[in-house]
Amino acid sequence: MADQLYLENIDEFVTDQNKIVTYKWLSYTLGVHVNQAKQMLYDYVERKRKENSGAQLHVTYLVSGSLIQNGHSCHKVAVVREDKLEAVKSKLAVTASIHVYSIQKAMLKDSGPLFNTDYDILKSNLQNCSKFSAIHCAAAVPRAAVESSSSEKFEQSNLQVSSETPANNELTTNGHSPPTSKQIFQQPKGIMGMFASKAASKTQDANKETKTETKEVFSTGNKAPGKGNVMSNFFGKAAMNKLKVNLDSEQAVKEEKIVEQPPVSVTEPKLAAPTGLKKSSKKAEPVKMQQKEKKRGKRVELSDDETKETENMKKKRRRIKLPESDSSEDEVIPDSPGDYEAESPSPPPPPPSPPPEPVPKTEPEPPSVKSSSGEKRKRKRVLKSKTFVDEEGCMVTEKVYESESCTDSEEELKMKTSSIHRPSTMTVKKEPKEERKGPKKGTAALGKANRQVSITGFFQRK
Amino acid sequence: MFSEQAAQRAHTLLSPPSANNATFARVPVSSYTNSSQPFRLGERSFSRQYAHIYATRLLQMRPFLVSRAKQRWGGGVQVKKLCELQPGEKCCVVGTLFKAMPLQPSILREISEEHNLLPQPPRSKYIHPDDELVLEDELQRIRLEGDVDASRLVTGTVLAVLGSARDSGKFVVEDHCFAELAPQKPAPPLDTDRFVLLVSGLGLGGGGGESLLGTQLLVDVVTGQLGDEGEQCSAAHVSRVILAGNLLSHNTQSRDSINKAKYLTKKTQAASVEAVRMLDEILLQLSASVPVDVMPGEFDPTNYTLPQQPLHPCMFPLATAYSTLQLVTNPYQATIDGVRFLGTSGQNVSDIFRYSSMEDHLEILEWTLRVRHISPTAPDTL
Repeated sequence: MADQLYLENIDEFVTDQNKIVTYKWLSYTLGVHVNQAKQMLYDYVERKRKENSGAQLHVTYLVSGSLIQNGHSCHKVAVVREDKLEAVKSKLAVTASIHVYSIQKAMLKDSGPLFNTDYDILKSNLQNCSKFSAIHCAAAVPRAAVESSSSEKFEQSNLQVSSETPANNELTTNGHSPPTSKQIFQQPKGIMGMFASKAASKTQDANKETKTETKEVFSTGNKAPGKGNVMSNFFGKAAMNKLKVNLDSEQAVKEEKIVEQPPVSVTEPKLAAPTGLKKSSKKAEPVKMQQKEKKRGKRVELSDDETKETENMKKKRRRIKLPESDSSEDEVIPDSPGDYEAESPSPPPPPPSPPPEPVPKTEPEPPSVKSSSGEKRKRKRVLKSKTFVDEEGCMVTEKVYESESCTDSEEELKMKTSSIHRPSTMTVKKEPKEERKGPKKGTAALGKANRQVSITGFFQRK
Repeated sequence: MFSEQAAQRAHTLLSPPSANNATFARVPVSSYTNSSQPFRLGERSFSRQYAHIYATRLLQMRPFLVSRAKQRWGGGVQVKKLCELQPGEKCCVVGTLFKAMPLQPSILREISEEHNLLPQPPRSKYIHPDDELVLEDELQRIRLEGDVDASRLVTGTVLAVLGSARDSGKFVVEDHCFAELAPQKPAPPLDTDRFVLLVSGLGLGGGGGESLLGTQLLVDVVTGQLGDEGEQCSAAHVSRVILAGNLLSHNTQSRDSINKAKYLTKKTQAASVEAVRMLDEILLQLSASVPVDVMPGEFDPTNYTLPQQPLHPCMFPLATAYSTLQLVTNPYQATIDGVRFLGTSGQNVSDIFRYSSMEDHLEILEWTLRVRHISPTAPDTL
């Protein structure tokens, strides 16, 4: 590393780009220790002044030391302009340190621009703000993403690191997560309920940060109590990545063996590329959805590529209308896109989502599976609210799918119920009755969009 | 002392860059125990009467006061309850003080129609020469007169008075004493200098338009970015930072949105949202480098009555990633490196300031130590 390089760099920053070069900004930009940055600045100033005494450089210094004020001795730290440096220095009883704070071409009127420069560079380096500092604290180790319940982490696709705990956290810390995740959480459950009514195996949707389009969320199989494990849901593209992660986590958590499981892991790599299959499956879902679900507020669409694929396959087999090609997506019942679009604005979308239709979840599948069995009374997954105290001492209420015996009619109710979760808020407990009303109230926008497009679906539901 | 230590190292920064830059390891926390569990509220019920609080207070303080009284006025002094008082007999009584202040804002008077009173404007002090002191013990109360300075004392203090009862039903006081300071455990010797930084009144979200350079400089000093090597070395000796309240400014508390029509305020965010976001970034920088305890204050988003519960970690998504960040109650008690710290965010001191003639806040603080009660005026006026 050439010693002269930094001089040129600083020169370029100050004169050409007309930037305010503070020691902190330089430290982050060049990746050097803060003290070194300060020394570099000083060196630059000296040389520049020697070469060209008419140089237009304004320098601010940092002075610190002890000052006797009102009879008390206090430690004062100040940023001063060059012309005031000597004056301030003389006031201090003991001078602890002086160094160059910043260099800029123009004279600064106040501290605003200085602060903004530092603030900006800090914002872009928030995660390692102490990297170049002179003090290292051994105790300050960021908790692994696993423990953190920060939804932001999820949103930044840090989920890659995650295990089921992030999913857990997200689910459990209802209060913390952004509304989207809440919705996601609820929506999958809703969908699950819907599926529950139809199929024997319920799949869980893990909460996804991603926008949940309220199509069916259906992941057959995976279910972790208290956690949303999403198997296959329709997701917008943005959701894809998260799904991937969630899928990973879910895999760890699985309670039941789910058909999708193997496909999930297999198809994971494919997650990145939205495939035609997905689209078609998505389409299938809407179709199914309309048939089966009447009023759903938002449908969460969590899409697992993996599950999608398998489900799609299955769905395709079962569905008559399922188009096999991408183009079929467009032909999909108009309300599905409407649904999706309606969904998107509502949950604050973490990722921008231009989703190809979210892949319909396995919802059709489970129902079909169930229907195939033809039993009326089965063990179904029911959406229930569980309240418990999590590791942080926060009370968490989650909707969980629990196996329960119930009749078909009850399942129907539950399906409706689950759909209602989506649109709203964090209601903790939904009873079937309320949920029935719920769909009617639903998120206004979504509901309306849904209704408008699939008015027939509404009536069919009844 | 901080500065002198810092100045001891040579100044190296006004020179061409050198290859090696010293990095200091922060002094590890040798021992830390958080003892503020009593301040955590379990379930909150607002239906409790205050009488129980005072009764418990008196019960606990009585033994201390009796021993102090004996110490001060001789072992032969008789300690009696109010019901046993004989007129003319010199004795000592232990009880809780109540100060009847005509200027004290009283909700009952305000809503009373017959007085037709307008609500009182808030004043800085509510004391009045006419204030009367009443001593209450478990069963009775009696007016106090004599050598006791009513203006300095506040409601809720438990003290012992020496004097005698008059026929008129008042007690003439000759002397009084408080529980004074409890015996201290000697602090264990330390191997290196350790500092604890107390910060309060950050006042974020003030909306004044001034930049946060001052706060940023503080954070930089503590995290070791500012300053020469000597100063950075000294900063490395700061073993803990305690943010003691009022992290958000008074302006964030504006309740305009309550008065405005809903359609006007629909899209506006509360001012505290932005302020909390700034606070989160500051906390992130701090907790990446030093253990931090955050106490809520008067204007912070938590419950208003003491003991204030810790701020919720969901407000600080970035900073809670670090385990060095601790959100604690107000008041806060902890043993840091062998030294016991007990502190509040100042609401108790301000309250005592309002109801007594003491002017200096430090003096009030010292007085609370002597009385052995952080905030005697609670739950009456605090």
